[in-house]
Amino acid sequence: MTGNIYKPHIAKIIDIKIETGDIKSFKFQFVDQAAQKEFTWKAGQFLILNLFGIGEAVFTFANPQTRNEYIECSIRKVGLVSEAVHELEIGDTVGIRGPYGNWFPFEKWHGKNLLYVAGGVGLAALRSPIEFALDTKQDFKNITILYGARSPMDLCYKDKFSDWEKVKDTQMILTADKGADGWKHKVGFVPAVLKEVHPSPKDTVAIICGPPIMIKFVLKELLDLGFTPDQIVTTLEMKMKCGFGKCGRCNVKHLYICKDGPVFTYAQLKDLPDEY
Amino acid sequence: MAYLITKENIKEVLNALIAAKTVYAPKKDAEDTVLFEKLVNASEWHGDSLLTHTTAKDKVYLQSERFFKIKKDKNGVTIEDPAEPEEIVIFGCRPCDARGFDVINKLFNWSDFVDEYYTKRMAKTTIITISCEKPESTCFCTSFAKGSPVNETGSDLLLTPLKDGKYLAEAYTEKGEKVISDNLKYFSEAAETEAKEKEAFKTASEAKIIKKLDLAAIKKLMEPAFESAYWETVHLPCVKCGACTFVCPTCYCFDITEKAFDNMNSERVRSWDTCMSEIFTRMAGGVNPRSDTKKRFRQRFMHKFNYHVDNFKEELCTGCGRCIKACPVSIDVRKVIEGIK
Repeated sequence: MTGNIYKPHIAKIIDIKIETGDIKSFKFQFVDQAAQKEFTWKAGQFLILNLFGIGEAVFTFANPQTRNEYIECSIRKVGLVSEAVHELEIGDTVGIRGPYGNWFPFEKWHGKNLLYVAGGVGLAALRSPIEFALDTKQDFKNITILYGARSPMDLCYKDKFSDWEKVKDTQMILTADKGADGWKHKVGFVPAVLKEVHPSPKDTVAIICGPPIMIKFVLKELLDLGFTPDQIVTTLEMKMKCGFGKCGRCNVKHLYICKDGPVFTYAQLKDLPDEY
Repeated sequence: MAYLITKENIKEVLNALIAAKTVYAPKKDAEDTVLFEKLVNASEWHGDSLLTHTTAKDKVYLQSERFFKIKKDKNGVTIEDPAEPEEIVIFGCRPCDARGFDVINKLFNWSDFVDEYYTKRMAKTTIITISCEKPESTCFCTSFAKGSPVNETGSDLLLTPLKDGKYLAEAYTEKGEKVISDNLKYFSEAAETEAKEKEAFKTASEAKIIKKLDLAAIKKLMEPAFESAYWETVHLPCVKCGACTFVCPTCYCFDITEKAFDNMNSERVRSWDTCMSEIFTRMAGGVNPRSDTKKRFRQRFMHKFNYHVDNFKEELCTGCGRCIKACPVSIDVRKVIEGIK
C-alpha cells in the first residue's frame, strides 16, 4: 500500500438499527463517492473505525463485498469507542481505514456444503460470510445456519432470517438457551442442538464463531461427527491498534491475528498455544 | 574507498554538519547522564562513554508522534497531513544501535504496509557510527550473526579508531559518501596497512566481550518451551516497569491514541508502548490473553529470540546490554534465555 496507512476515509452514518439491548448496526458511506465505489473487501476481513476526538477501534464488516454500496458494522457497547459510537446519530461523521486481515477462503469451497454455527454476538462476525455465500449460492451446495443465544431477545439480525431462508437449499436452525412465550424454535445450548441435528461432514466446511465456551464444545461435537480439523474454520479477535502487524500486540507465537488472521482453521489453531 | 581522519578533524566535520542539519550526538547533561542530544557545537560531543543511557531510536521512531491533526467544523472533518521530516544526522552511534535501526527498518516496511512516518524520516537520516574500543561486561553483540564492535550494518559511515588518534572512515551508503565528499579536505586516503589495523582492532575488541550465546541452539530450546515450568519462576523478580523495553534499540511496539483539545480539535498520536504492561493486550470488556506477568515476561523473550526470528530471520535484539543495566532487579537477558529448559 502506498500513502499514509494510518489515514482514514471520512464517512457519514447513513442508517442506525437497534439489534439487541447492547448491539446496534451502523451503515457508513464515504463522503468521497468515488472512493466508496473503489473500496472493497472480502468476507472475514475487518476495519478500524475512527471516532474523531475519541479514538480508534476494530470491527468486522457485517455486510459482504457483494453489497458494498455502504459499509455496515454491528457494534456491541463494551468499551470507550463503542460506547461513544452508540451515542452517534444519522449524519454524524466518522473515519474508516482498512480492510485488514485475511478472509474466509470461499474460492476453495466451491461445490461444498457450508455449515455456519454461531452463538450470541458471534453471528456479527459470520453475517458477512453468510450473506456472501447466499449472494453467490450457485457456487455452493446446501447452506445450514445454526444460531443460538441466551434468550430469544439476544438474537441478532432477526429480521434477516426470513430472507436468508428463502435462498434455495438454505436452512436456518435457531435455538435459545432458555425459551420464552411464543418461541417456536429449539431450546438448548448450541453444541447440544448441533449433536441433535447431526450434520454430515461429507463435502462440508463448518464455519464457527461465538463465546469461547461454546467454541470449545462445538469443536468437540464437530470432531465427534467426523469433521477433520481442516474442515473447521473460525475467526479470532485480540486487541489491535494498527491492523497490519506492526504495533506488536495481537500475536500468538509468530502469527499476528491482524495480518495472518483473523480467519484460521482448527488445524492451524490446535497447534498454537492458548494465548488468544 | 577507505579514508583516514583525525579526531580534531572529526570535530571540524561535525561543525560543518551542525551548520547544515540537525545533529544528534552523545552529550552529557547536568547530572552526568549521556544522551543523544541536539548539538550546537562539536565541543559538546561526549565521545568517551561506550553507550548512551538511551538509544538514538527516538530520533527516527519518535517516542510520541503526531500522525495528523483533526479539525471538525459544520461541514465535517478535515485531516491535516503532517509536515515532511527534516534532514538529521545521528553522530557517534555504536554498531549495536545502528544495527537496531536496520532491524526495525524491516518491521516498518513489512508486508504490503509501509509506515511512511518512519520510512520518510529514516530516508532523511544519516547515521555515523564509531566502532567500540572498550566493550563492557553487559555487551554481547558478537552473539549475533552480524554483530561485532566494528559492524557497519545500519550505518552510513563507520569510524574506527586506529593508532595515533586517527580514525579509519568507511562509507557504506550514498549518504555516508556524501559526508566524506562534502568535507574531503579533512580526510586523507587510507592505505592497505590501515585496513589491517582495523582487523587487529576488531580482534582485540571482540576479545573483551565475555559472553557469546549460541542463539540458534537457544531458539531450538525455546520452541517447545512455551508451557515450560521455567516461566513460572523466572519472571518472579520482574516489577513490570518496562524499562527494558524503553531503552531497547529494537523494541518497537506502539499504541495509537487520540488527544482531544476540545470538541472540535484533536490529534492522532502514536506512542511507544510496552509488552510488560497489563493493558497492552487487554480488550474492551476485560478479556486479556496475557493477563499475568509470567505470560508477558515469556512474550518478551519469546518475541525477541523465537517469534521474530521466524518472521524476519534475525533476532529482535542487538546485544547492546542496556536492558541489563536498566533493570532495577538485575534481570539479565543472557541468563534468562540461556536458562530455558
